[in-house]
Amino acid sequence: MVGFVELDGVGMTFRGRTGAYEAVRDFNLELSEGEFFCLLGTSGCGKTTVMNMLAGFDTPTAGQIRLEGKPVRGPGADRGVVFQGHDSLYDWLTARDNIAFGLRLRGMGRSERRAIADRFLNMVGLTGQGSKHPSELSGGMKQRIQIARALANDPRMLLMDEPFGALDAMTRAVLQTELSRIWSENRKTVLFITHDIEEACALATRVGVMKRGPGGTLKAVVPIDLPYPRERTSDAFMASFRQVHELIHAEIHPHE
Amino acid sequence: MNSRSATVIGYVLGFALLFVIWHLASQYLVSSVLFPSPFPVFERGWVLLEEGLLQESIWASMRRIIQGFLLGSAIGIPVGLAIGSFRPVRLLLEPWTEFFRFIPAVAMITVAVIWFGIGEESKIFLIAYTTVFVVIIATAAGVGAVGRDKIRAAQCLGANKFQVFALVALPATVPYILTGMRLAMANAFVTIVAAELVASNDGLGKMLWDARLFMQVEDIFVALISLGLLGFATDRVFRLLIRAFAGRFNPTM
Repeated sequence: MVGFVELDGVGMTFRGRTGAYEAVRDFNLELSEGEFFCLLGTSGCGKTTVMNMLAGFDTPTAGQIRLEGKPVRGPGADRGVVFQGHDSLYDWLTARDNIAFGLRLRGMGRSERRAIADRFLNMVGLTGQGSKHPSELSGGMKQRIQIARALANDPRMLLMDEPFGALDAMTRAVLQTELSRIWSENRKTVLFITHDIEEACALATRVGVMKRGPGGTLKAVVPIDLPYPRERTSDAFMASFRQVHELIHAEIHPHE
Repeated sequence: MNSRSATVIGYVLGFALLFVIWHLASQYLVSSVLFPSPFPVFERGWVLLEEGLLQESIWASMRRIIQGFLLGSAIGIPVGLAIGSFRPVRLLLEPWTEFFRFIPAVAMITVAVIWFGIGEESKIFLIAYTTVFVVIIATAAGVGAVGRDKIRAAQCLGANKFQVFALVALPATVPYILTGMRLAMANAFVTIVAAELVASNDGLGKMLWDARLFMQVEDIFVALISLGLLGFATDRVFRLLIRAFAGRFNPTM
């Protein structure tokens, strides 16, 4: 059987003026359709590089990446991306037009676009905010717009690069819960990059822990078999947290 | 009191203060026929308006500014976009912009007059010349400043190269283009006066020059005030445009 997403011996070496840097080495992973996979690692471990390769922004220097059996070549509408910063939103468009941007690229009519955009505005909890411009929205709201924009385009999977990394702790927790709800509703396959253990355990069906860079690679995969919404103070959640924490801890303090 | 009326009142009071100081200086500090008080200047301005001479000069200068400015922008914007978007174009044309922008339009008056005579063409050429490089540089800088994630996001939503350019890079560059045009407009005022001083049959620069010849000091001041007001008004229009089209891009612009 072929996996929905396959990363097969993937490596990435950046060559610059100061020499070569191997960010990712022999990275192997299979994702099945509909799963929420969190890729967890310390900063500089290469997790964003993995995402950039899957998104098609970077081309692997070794191995191959396939989505539904087809090799990934360059960015495409089958992989929606939610970026860490909200600079990716279009300041000159309203929230609604940002969400409908992908539909406009496909030449969909105005009224149809509007109806779909409004549906996704509701989904991310921004009903009635569609006429505002990004500059009028808070950081959390902008990330909601990004999620809605990616989902409205109906990609085969969603790539999220620390989307809540720049938000305050309260907003982050709210958005994590919302994201779990949204994912439970539409069951898109998600690859979610984070360095936050609790975030990974709250969201993921499986957590992949990466080794330290350079030459970052997958160290272990921990399935989190808990129902959503997850009770973060429950014993089962704590047990998962502890398990992942130990794996990551060894990467932060390798000599203990 | 809202901030808009505060601004208007500030400007009115500021200009009033300028004229009060001018009046006092002309009466008590300098007291020479070469430095008239604002009142005879305004009287003279009124006479010139009634005779239609002032409007004629203003229109002659503004027409040249607008024509040359539009021509320069029409060339500068696409060239700037091309320089910002395509590396080979940049490598090829950057030497041009870096070279010509240090040859001031005022220095080009000589060749402009030799090539085009003292008529409209030389003025329009000079204004276009002074406009084009500023607009090119601002536009190219704007294209270069489009955020990487903005372009990537469009690619992930299925945009082809043309769509990335037309729907992302171009609108993201608009504030830079408008800012470049605003700077170019200030250059255009400098250039038109210099060009009309040297070689022209009409316009505010010609009016200044003639007034100097015949020692009509009031006329000189009328022309100077007209230039100030025209520049002020056009700059206001640009600020309004930038705010209307680009204010939401970047609140600091």
